[in-house]
Amino acid sequence: MSGMKTPVSVLRLPRGPEPNSRGFDPTSPRFIALCPTTLPSSSSSSGSADEEEQRLRAELRERFLRTLLLMTGKRVRFDMHEHVRVHARFGASDIDVLNLQVCDLETPLGVQREALLRSQDVIACSFEV
Amino acid sequence: LPYRSPVSMAMRQTPLTCSGHTRPVVDLAFSGITPYGYFLISACKDGKPMLRQGDTGDWIGTFLGHKGAVWGATLNKEATKAATAAADFTAKVWDAVTGDEVLTLAHKHIVKSVNFTQDSNCLLTGGNDKVLRIYDLGKPEAEPQEIAGHTSAIKKALWCNNDQQILSAADDKTIRLWDKNTKEAVKSLSFDASVSSMEYIPDGEVLVITYGRTIAFYKAHSLDLIKTVDAPASIHSASLHPDKDFFVAGGDDFKLYKYDYTTKEEMESYKGHFGPIHCVRFSPDGELYASGSEDGTLRLWQTAVGKTYGLWKCVLPGKFT
Repeated sequence: MSGMKTPVSVLRLPRGPEPNSRGFDPTSPRFIALCPTTLPSSSSSSGSADEEEQRLRAELRERFLRTLLLMTGKRVRFDMHEHVRVHARFGASDIDVLNLQVCDLETPLGVQREALLRSQDVIACSFEV
Repeated sequence: LPYRSPVSMAMRQTPLTCSGHTRPVVDLAFSGITPYGYFLISACKDGKPMLRQGDTGDWIGTFLGHKGAVWGATLNKEATKAATAAADFTAKVWDAVTGDEVLTLAHKHIVKSVNFTQDSNCLLTGGNDKVLRIYDLGKPEAEPQEIAGHTSAIKKALWCNNDQQILSAADDKTIRLWDKNTKEAVKSLSFDASVSSMEYIPDGEVLVITYGRTIAFYKAHSLDLIKTVDAPASIHSASLHPDKDFFVAGGDDFKLYKYDYTTKEEMESYKGHFGPIHCVRFSPDGELYASGSEDGTLRLWQTAVGKTYGLWKCVLPGKFT
């Protein structure tokens, strides 16, 4: 019997995520109506203070990325949780800085030729410039 | 049986599939009805919870920031804030209009559940460290209030009874009702099996619980049992329609079941998902329900099959025109 039923028509399928964007279209009516007062921002209310904070954040981010570049190929000391301290040659970080690719990682169990360190386990890194 | 129109009887349900997640969808929640419609948030093991327009399933945005599977997600009534609970030991609060991360609340273990109060001022969290936490979102730096008592990981924690009490379900096979001020357990329910889901319906104070193959309904104030219904397969989640005439349930056998709440009779079952169903919820207007599955998709289902609503269009078969 159910095979004789007509399937309900649809106008189209639900739209999926855009490949290169996290969405939240700033031109949508809801965004325009509700922003920027949806939630208080972390610092102040005036526009120029937000711009200043943005500028500082961008500067700090750039410094961090340049440090990662400078670290490439160098022997780095990683201070990790549980009082773990290891040395390794730093290769690269993944795009979200979730993992650090290293080689010749010196561990109490021996030297690991290739390894990935989880960033969340690392408290600090030091190296000679 | 409740009246079913000739159109419903003649039409076959066409679920709308929302793709985009790359791993199992483990939780979902609707907002209330806002001037811009209502919204849906989905929690996924890929760590990227998504916001969708509730009546169409259209993707609006993805909340980026978690560094582990997202186990729980919720929206406030106005859909201006979102909160997520994740395996990275944090709960996060988001601006649901801009998608920006607003707060990160560090926990000592995997966070499984998040829930806003009606006024969106407080956030309740629960997870694997067995402690319920209440955060004042106006004072995010302040330490949260803590409620301890569960002896295993908390799966779900909800505000209830006008945000004066808290309901929590844990792997210790209990559901506990807590007074938010005294932090004492006021009542407790014990089960033989782990509770797989919990839904609280403020209007009528009904609690919907699933465990094993059972969907059970309780009065939220007293935790008195109203009724139980057994399904053909192990059920992971169930939701009661706002008018309390139907409820839907889904679980291990990949199917969605629709039951008459009054008579407890199974009315329909729908295939569609390619994996177990982890979560199912009715929309705030009751016109559709959404299911999230191990197969990585969300599907939207019509309550009244064949009705014109959202992306579904009523095209009457010849003999009904």
